[in-house]
Amino acid sequence: MNKINRRTFVGNAAASAAGILWGGSLMSFAPKQQAYEPPHAAGNKNMMAEVLKYRKIDAHAHVLGNFTVDYNVDFADRLGIDKLVISKPMTRGEGPPEEFRACNDVILDAVRQYPDRFIGQMTLNPRYKKESLEEIDRCTDQGMVGLKLYTQVKINDPLFYPIIEKFIDLKMIILMHAGIGHARIKFNANEPPNVSIPEYFVDIAQRYPEAMFQLAHIGGGIDWEDACKTLQHSPNVYVDVSGSNNVANMIDFAMRYIGEDRLLFGCDNSFYQGVGHLFSAKLTDAQRKKIFFDNYNNILRKAGKHVD
Amino acid sequence: MLIDGNAYIGHWPFRKFEYNTLEALLGRMAEFGTEVSLVSSLNGIFYKNTQSANEELYAAIGSKRSYGDRFIPFAVINPIYNGWRDDFATCTGKMGMKGIRLYPKYHGYGLDNPSCIELVKMARDKGLPVALGLRMVDSRPSSWLDIEKEWSLKDVMPIVRSVPDAKYLIVNVANGTALGDEDAALFKKSEVVMDSSGRNILYPGQLLKDYGTDKLCFGTHSPILDYFTGLLRIESLRDDEADAATKELIRSGNLKRLLEI
Repeated sequence: MNKINRRTFVGNAAASAAGILWGGSLMSFAPKQQAYEPPHAAGNKNMMAEVLKYRKIDAHAHVLGNFTVDYNVDFADRLGIDKLVISKPMTRGEGPPEEFRACNDVILDAVRQYPDRFIGQMTLNPRYKKESLEEIDRCTDQGMVGLKLYTQVKINDPLFYPIIEKFIDLKMIILMHAGIGHARIKFNANEPPNVSIPEYFVDIAQRYPEAMFQLAHIGGGIDWEDACKTLQHSPNVYVDVSGSNNVANMIDFAMRYIGEDRLLFGCDNSFYQGVGHLFSAKLTDAQRKKIFFDNYNNILRKAGKHVD
Repeated sequence: MLIDGNAYIGHWPFRKFEYNTLEALLGRMAEFGTEVSLVSSLNGIFYKNTQSANEELYAAIGSKRSYGDRFIPFAVINPIYNGWRDDFATCTGKMGMKGIRLYPKYHGYGLDNPSCIELVKMARDKGLPVALGLRMVDSRPSSWLDIEKEWSLKDVMPIVRSVPDAKYLIVNVANGTALGDEDAALFKKSEVVMDSSGRNILYPGQLLKDYGTDKLCFGTHSPILDYFTGLLRIESLRDDEADAATKELIRSGNLKRLLEI
């Protein structure tokens, strides 16, 4: 594994702080000149044509339980989703190596079935450092891109550092589950002890400004207003808009604090909500294109794994 | 024609929502092609005397002549708060409201409460639908001051059992829709319509097969939920899941039947 070059680290940190390295996210508070375009603007009676015209990469999907391969493809066809980044995280238990290898095998099989529709994302357990690093090699050798982790460790746990450093070298993103945490102010007593909350993302993003992190599902039951405000100054943390909670002003709020360059379309298998709230939000055509497709494709591009 | 069966004006105490006035809602309706919205007041959830909220809604709709053609008001009635029979009479009489909205979880009573059953029977006798929601907001990121428990579809069945010949509008079907055999049979033969806004309308095509084409209508749950997702569930139905006539039922026909308009 390549060691982190501290000169690169410091240089990138400075560029990042200036809002250069990760695009124009710090600039996105500026008023937009283009008019917002609803999908059913006067005279446009074919709403689905409007929905289908945007290329889409679902940055957060799973083949897991009831979310079968066919379930994913069926919804993707229905709503015009070109590619789904699929993973099978370990959502409970110890997560030993044989389990994460088996999870990744499921994803590899799914990608073999639909190579044009799925992008495979691996999972692992940083508590098993040696086996995890080996698994990264095994999965990337077979074309997997990126990492999805659940609650095996907090995102800023030192056990995670060697994994993060490996993904910096690979130029691939780390998608981390974000829990409900203190969404109701009082910390949710049912959360697993290692659940990550937005504050931990800020912490790790500062430690590794060259890394790319993805906060999972602002519609997944977290306090999305709190999350967006927390992450507004973390330019290497992307935020996916997936989840079942399609609150009306979530996207507009996220645009204000996160910006059009760091928001990623995703569904977390809540397909109607993931697509629907991006059309309900006050977005321009160009902003929709970025969030639906370009932002994630640019992430993939860093590792040479972009769609086109 | 498109009729939204589930919209509100007013305030939610724990988050700021846009589009929560009639004028803002009208803007959304214009953007997405909605001609008419069933609307009630969010304030009626939190005012102890819900009639104040109904009076606000009545005044708001009366503030512009054009509003009368675009909004169909539903009254929020709390059957355990004194004066509710008079409130019901005023709202459905002088104020011309076309249905009632109940909030048992927020107002602190059960659907087996005798006053609740009496109220639903009064609505039935006037031919007015009774609207109930499985939840107002996702309880996970709400305030610690908000209620925590959400309903599943089976939780509304006690009132359907008690007054099976009333008309019901079940909105924001956010949780489980599984019913036991007896309740499922009752649900199918009752005049119950669910709106399309809730997250658990996962497979609308299958729902039409399981429960019939008369059980689903368009609803947004605006301004709380985004305006488009409820519509997307309908518009993305494939031809073999819903033909043109069925889609028209969902867009407006089932609500027209329920409201007798």
